[in-house]
Amino acid sequence: MRALWGWIDSRLKLGSVRHLLLDEPIPGGASWVYVFGSITLFFFVLQLVTGILLTVYYAPTPDHAYDSVQYIEHQVTLGWFIRGLHHWGASAMVVAIGLHMLQVYLYGAYKPPRELMWMAGVVLFILVLMFAFTGYLLPWDQKAYWATQVGTNMIGTVPFIGDLLVRIARGGADLGALTLSRFFSMHALIFPWLTVGLVGLHLFILRRVGPAGPWDEARAKAVREPFYPRQVFIDAVAILCSFLIVVGMAVWLPFPLADKADPSASNFVPLPEWYFLFYYEMLRFFKGPWLEPVGTVFLPALFYAFLFALPFIDRRKERRPARRPVALAAGAGFLLVVFLLLGVSLHRVWSLPTTSPGVVEGVKLYAKLQCSACHRIHGEGGSFGPDLSYVGAHRDRDWLIRHFKNPPGVVPGSAMPPFDLDQPSLDALADYLLTLK
Amino acid sequence: MRGPHTPAAEETTRRQFFGRLTALMAAAISATLAVPAVGYFIGPALRRKTVGWLNAGAVSALEPDLPVQREVVVGTQEGWFTARTTKGVWVVKRATGEIRIYNPHCTHLGCAYAWNPAARQFQCPCHGGVYDLDGRVIAGPPPRPLDALDYRIEGEQLEIRYEDFKSGTHQKSPL
Repeated sequence: MRALWGWIDSRLKLGSVRHLLLDEPIPGGASWVYVFGSITLFFFVLQLVTGILLTVYYAPTPDHAYDSVQYIEHQVTLGWFIRGLHHWGASAMVVAIGLHMLQVYLYGAYKPPRELMWMAGVVLFILVLMFAFTGYLLPWDQKAYWATQVGTNMIGTVPFIGDLLVRIARGGADLGALTLSRFFSMHALIFPWLTVGLVGLHLFILRRVGPAGPWDEARAKAVREPFYPRQVFIDAVAILCSFLIVVGMAVWLPFPLADKADPSASNFVPLPEWYFLFYYEMLRFFKGPWLEPVGTVFLPALFYAFLFALPFIDRRKERRPARRPVALAAGAGFLLVVFLLLGVSLHRVWSLPTTSPGVVEGVKLYAKLQCSACHRIHGEGGSFGPDLSYVGAHRDRDWLIRHFKNPPGVVPGSAMPPFDLDQPSLDALADYLLTLK
Repeated sequence: MRGPHTPAAEETTRRQFFGRLTALMAAAISATLAVPAVGYFIGPALRRKTVGWLNAGAVSALEPDLPVQREVVVGTQEGWFTARTTKGVWVVKRATGEIRIYNPHCTHLGCAYAWNPAARQFQCPCHGGVYDLDGRVIAGPPPRPLDALDYRIEGEQLEIRYEDFKSGTHQKSPL
């Protein structure tokens, strides 16, 4: 081993490369606080590896995309594991890059001379979100199709040029074969290459200006430690732990596909991935022709523009958080709003008011009567009957109970069988359905 | 943060210790990815095809010692894709009543041969391979007789199991 290294080193002169890569001084010494950039980079590599493997069997056409993903999930040796890593790896990457940005923000590491590094990072963050958006469509199931339908429609709310932008995003007027192939091209070729280039730039800038280190100048100057071995080791431990979490999720948290995409289905209510949920919740406050573009276009554009220009908006050199009350308050306020919206959304979508015994009884009846064979609630269940995710918003108790007893009498032509239940059961089932709104 | 100055020799061992531990972790992650990746990549390629019975028409229409070509629709499951191809197998009912089904490719290099009613031979146009009614090689380069296929009779219907074989070899080995 040593002899082989010596043989290669004597020809390629690797010693100086190793010195350049590993002996970068870290002001203030190695720390667990600096692991998030490395973790993000690791997850990018993981997404590359698993994504390339997925393309071995994936076919980006509406005729075959769904079947090919089902084939990967159920037939290919360990296909479910590779797909699981890619699915949960995407979530992990969003978490990692989020934490990385928070750390940089808290430490004021975007301030001079590191403005360019921050700006490249913001573009990388936007790319990660674009990866998530384009990747969501590829399995071509109902969830994918309808979420992208909504997502591309949102682009259409841009004033004046909205229709043009939607056509460009979809590759035509409708969501179809051309949308799938261009989303695949962006997700698997265009964005990865852009990301590789920008990560290179981000790291090049890091090596030119050096890491920021602690905000306390005295501490930064007191200790200087090379990147290798301690920081490398700390990064490796953090990476291994986050990798094992994603492996565990891939093994124990399966996420079956919904039904194959059906453009004619009118009753499917899509939900975005959890990291877009807060935004989905926020959009509920922006209704109407004037307010809607505010939520779908102006606020996001303003947010990204603010992030990108942050080093020029916050021009003070001060890095200590205690001396940056405005920046800290803005950051904390942003996090508060995001998690509040996320909490409200999760609560609204998933939780039930368990205080009412009727609702609990109703949930049991819903399962016992196998309502989910035909009806879907937030992605769970069949699609033969109407989606019940928001049935409570437009039906009242009286209507529901009349309908349980005699569906065709209330909805002419309904294929639902009548349910001959006693009054408490009818009430309980109605109690449950009325919570769905 | 860092302790007091340590001698150079100890410094090296400390460096080496962290280095080895890091390498170990990198190896663990790589193995967790590489082993499934290899299985994922080659697994489906090694699976055997299953061959089902295909309808090849009525038995009663066959005339003794007169070969006819019957079309069968072969549905092959290629991963997520079902490929349907039509193959024309040769069917011979001998005067004895015995039925023989031949794969339509010459055993030499896989050309399509045909029945010549005047010469009462199967003749291959590519390199002059000639077979008799029993599939035996009479002339030309074919290294083995025509490849017989399995068949069964369900009611009045002839059913066959379509398979292709490697051409150019003495032994008949399925593809």
